[in-house]
Amino acid sequence: MDRLRRAALLTQLIERLRRRGSWCGETHVQKATLFLQDLTRIPMGFDFILYKHGPFSFDLRDELTSLRADELIKLEPQWPYGPRIMTTDRSKYIQGLYSKTLEKYNDSISFIAEKLGAKGVADLERLATALYVTQRAGTDASIDKRAAKLTALKPHITRDDAVAAAMEVDCIIEEAAK
Amino acid sequence: MPKSVHEIRDPIHVFVRLDNHEREVLNSRPFQRLRHIHQLALTYLVYPGATHKRFEHSLGVMELAGRVFDIITDNATDEIRARLEPLNNQDERRYWRRVLRMAALCHDVGHLPFSHAAEKQLLPNGWDHEKLTRAIIASDDMKAIWERITPPLRHEDIVKVALGPKKANDLLFSDWETILSEIIVGDAFGVDRMDYLLRDSHHVGVAYGRFDHYRLVDTLRILQIAPSGEGDDSKEAALGVEEGGIQSAEALMLARYFMYSQVYFHQIRRIYDTHLMEFLSEWLQGGNFPTDINQHLRITDNEVTAALLEAAFDNGKAGHLHARRIVLREHFKVLYERNPDDVKINPEAGKSVFEALSTEFGREHFRHDRYHQSTGAPDFPVRMRDGQIVSSLAVSDTLNRVPIVSVDYVFAERSIVSKASAWLRKHRADIVKPREEEGDNG
Repeated sequence: MDRLRRAALLTQLIERLRRRGSWCGETHVQKATLFLQDLTRIPMGFDFILYKHGPFSFDLRDELTSLRADELIKLEPQWPYGPRIMTTDRSKYIQGLYSKTLEKYNDSISFIAEKLGAKGVADLERLATALYVTQRAGTDASIDKRAAKLTALKPHITRDDAVAAAMEVDCIIEEAAK
Repeated sequence: MPKSVHEIRDPIHVFVRLDNHEREVLNSRPFQRLRHIHQLALTYLVYPGATHKRFEHSLGVMELAGRVFDIITDNATDEIRARLEPLNNQDERRYWRRVLRMAALCHDVGHLPFSHAAEKQLLPNGWDHEKLTRAIIASDDMKAIWERITPPLRHEDIVKVALGPKKANDLLFSDWETILSEIIVGDAFGVDRMDYLLRDSHHVGVAYGRFDHYRLVDTLRILQIAPSGEGDDSKEAALGVEEGGIQSAEALMLARYFMYSQVYFHQIRRIYDTHLMEFLSEWLQGGNFPTDINQHLRITDNEVTAALLEAAFDNGKAGHLHARRIVLREHFKVLYERNPDDVKINPEAGKSVFEALSTEFGREHFRHDRYHQSTGAPDFPVRMRDGQIVSSLAVSDTLNRVPIVSVDYVFAERSIVSKASAWLRKHRADIVKPREEEGDNG
């Protein structure tokens, strides 16, 4: 996927997440992009690894930096926390150029924003790590088995929270497939 | 009595001190090879002082890594100690200090001749210099060194700390290992970057890269902060600073910006990298550098320079044309570069200009060079004097305003510059204007 097309998708995702009440820091954008790419099969080309707060893409981090360089997004400092990400007027122009792509993926972006927009970092970490585990173990693997793997990877997540995250991810996967 | 600590004079850190095991690494073949790898590739053709090598940089990274380790482990709070087990055990702490210094020493051993210049195009798919570094650290010769140490060092630990999660992305990192790798390759306070900014600045002869690294290192801490104000407790440990170090951190980020914009992304330096890559792809057997470790260790800047000089004056040699462009300074000239007006309507304007010129005059006369700074926002935790931990971007207006370096050059062969330039002036507005997408091939 070429860079400007991807910029149109990312900026629209950021706008929809914020509209759904997301804090929209980098962690929120990272997790939402993972779900958008891996669950709804939009070929954005980001590689995710397990890192701080769960799956993380260094490519996406670089891409967000280049979107800032092109003034398509900007950071909004929020004392005392990390900054929130917001789009600029210039991003509207790029979205206008890629209206067909955005139309094609409109439902997918709305679906992800609806499912994740209201969630905080802790929830997103659990869910994204559960997705990461499920993708490697398969949905055939039992909830218990995946929850055990999740807590092994992220020891600060409780067993109950891990089970709940694995179950919620199964529901999201099922809905996304419809 | 034989010495157990060895001192090496260094223009940046005054002395770099090594123990016997570290000196064994220094004496190893992979490390000695770094004496013949320029830190800044062909930058010396633009800034004549830039002839320093990866060898002294690697020593500097080890020196700084040791200092940072001592500061952050001596000053860890109870909350951090509860989270990072090795901080509570002296043997563990000693083991990991040694791993860190060895990782710092070895972090660049996989570099190709002339460092970063075009490694993506000159290695087989899936390879980069970090993968070569990893293979060298895990090689039998190096493993023999790790195993002679008491307790023996696990080569996997050295690999993780030297490369970090971004490059060793098939390995799982504990919180502790992540912090240690941040000391070397971290976005904000990696000592790799600290050393190269200071050292490159010194050798290039510009003051841009200097910052108060003594103060910065002294104020580094392992800190935890919630990334957002959603009332949850998802905190991760990261390298941050005391409030008193924020100005030194700002100076580091500004140094990075100035060095990238004035030295690393200097337009002539960039086109020399392109000419060198084109020379190498014709000169190397099969167009790629070898990935076999023994063959890798045999080739340095010296062999490539000798071949360049030979090819420049012999039109029967592979890479003759590209070698001439470097050796006789007949490099391509800048025809187009990124500017704010064009970026407003087309962030990829350079690509459009390159394509249009190539269609009109032939692709062989032009080169396109697009590169973005590849780091995140300078967002790290800061511990205020009252104990509150806040985001650096919440506390520093300066950090919020550090520009991001992004280059977009189109270069042209000298013989065609005037003609192409006149043509571009005439058609530029139309060329730069982006086209709306025609299909939905996303």
